[in-house]
Amino acid sequence: MLEITNISKTFHAGSVNEVFALQNVSLTLNDGDFIVIIGTNGSGKSTLLNAVAGSFITDSGKINLSGHDITKWPEHKRASLIGRVFQNPFSGTAPTMTIAENLSLAAKRGKPRGFTWALDKQLQSELRDRIRTLNMGLEDRLGNAIGSLSGGQRQALTLLMASWLKPDLLLLDEHTAALDPKSADQVIRLTKEIIERDRLTTLMVTHSMPQAVHLGNRIIMMHKGQIIHDYKGATRQGVRSEDLLHRFEEVRRREQVDVRVAELLQRMYV
Amino acid sequence: MSLFLGALTIGLILSLLALGVYMSFRVFKFPDITAEGSVTFGAAVSAVLLVKGFDPGISLLAAFAAGAAAGAITGILHTKCKINELLAGILVMTALYSVNLHVMGKSNIPLVDAKSTSTVAEKLGAWIFGQTTDLNWFGWEVSIRDAGMLIAMFAVVAAAASILLMFFQTNLGTAIRATGDNPQMIRALGVDVDIMMILGLAISNGLIALAGALLAQYQGFADVQMGIGMMVWGLASVIIGEALVGSNKQGLVVTGAVMGSVLFRLLVAIALRWGLNPNDLKLITALFVFAALVGPTIARSFMKKSGNQPSGRTV
Repeated sequence: MLEITNISKTFHAGSVNEVFALQNVSLTLNDGDFIVIIGTNGSGKSTLLNAVAGSFITDSGKINLSGHDITKWPEHKRASLIGRVFQNPFSGTAPTMTIAENLSLAAKRGKPRGFTWALDKQLQSELRDRIRTLNMGLEDRLGNAIGSLSGGQRQALTLLMASWLKPDLLLLDEHTAALDPKSADQVIRLTKEIIERDRLTTLMVTHSMPQAVHLGNRIIMMHKGQIIHDYKGATRQGVRSEDLLHRFEEVRRREQVDVRVAELLQRMYV
Repeated sequence: MSLFLGALTIGLILSLLALGVYMSFRVFKFPDITAEGSVTFGAAVSAVLLVKGFDPGISLLAAFAAGAAAGAITGILHTKCKINELLAGILVMTALYSVNLHVMGKSNIPLVDAKSTSTVAEKLGAWIFGQTTDLNWFGWEVSIRDAGMLIAMFAVVAAAASILLMFFQTNLGTAIRATGDNPQMIRALGVDVDIMMILGLAISNGLIALAGALLAQYQGFADVQMGIGMMVWGLASVIIGEALVGSNKQGLVVTGAVMGSVLFRLLVAIALRWGLNPNDLKLITALFVFAALVGPTIARSFMKKSGNQPSGRTV
């Protein structure tokens, strides 16, 4: 269970570039929840994921995961509970190391690493079996450097790595945004498969409305560092892409009105 | 012949330096100039211990530990104090100069009378060849000491390279390699990349200090100046090694670094023999590394113009 309570983060505080990236955001995920986060550019959705992953320490608020208060934990310590896939396919794998070595690194996520062989016999056979489930023919190329693979293949492997040891929380940060449509489909299918099979608690950020509608059991819409809408339960069931787009349009209009009103007030009173 | 043997032996000794530079420069992409201080630090520590009558083996272990400490400090300066890589190395290198003078008590310690690795190697040679007089190799006179030293150094380097390669295949070793390859990824898999880098630089400088200690024992003295230019020397060895094996495979690259070091030393010996002014040696070495760094880029842009685009590694 993930409990985010009133977290805030301001970047470049006090300067002209001040950004209120997260403003008093609270969110609770029950075990097995699969939440999809959507929002405009700069709405804070990726920032929210990074705050949970520990890429930075929040200014205020509290984050609780599986009974641990992880608010002040450094990133690598949180990794013992969290599996993560990045937007950039290059971010999740070590390019000069082999497929097998990369997976062996994931098989030790959050565990002590000592002087035992990274690739023992048992792991090697397990590795082959699990990579075969990707249906990409990679099981015969375990000794190849990951850098020689396509973005889609790398992202599929990263997903496999993030979920190798069943994480308490899986974070997916627009993990198909940088892929061609065919690879994106493949990775999304795999994502769904893995999450359903292992009943993983998941937070996923996406730009794609169809993805948001077809995946997960709850949709959260963010804007300007705040959660502005939460589709869950019965409301989540009936949601279509058009509803989400309509909602975005509404937000945009209201914003324009705000700006115009502000200008008007400025002209009148300043 | 003794010139050839000497070049071979020094080449092998300095291949430990090449392994250390490979670790910092290639694994971490960290231009670690601490090396220049570590070479001398290792030589100084082992020389002082030898003069005091300690066992040569213990003096080598102490040298490794001393270098490792220096490397760890550079790592801490860079990761915890956020000091730029080069500057962190420069600070430790500069500080080591004074430390080395304090350790040695003077700027040069002769080891001719002390029982050192050379003495052990001489006994080894006598035991292997069953004689204490000079050997006759293909019509050349070879002193038993030189032959023994060559064999001993070959064994030491083979052991060090094998241990390093095996280490790279362990859970800890792969985590260290991944830290150099993609820190973001390995952090997300629960590894403290700061610790990995400190540990890696400690191993790197430990090897480099070991090279310094062996070099001092082979040439019969430790000198406070002996580290100057060593980093570029190690770099040249690594680059030659990569060209020799033409592959990124770890096992080959490590073997290549050893071969590169030996070959480079031989080339230098030949050049000196042909009348190269020893004063120009470091200039030539620097020019060589410069050419090796810039060459591939020029070759690529040239190839691009002619329509080919070979994939080469950038430095």
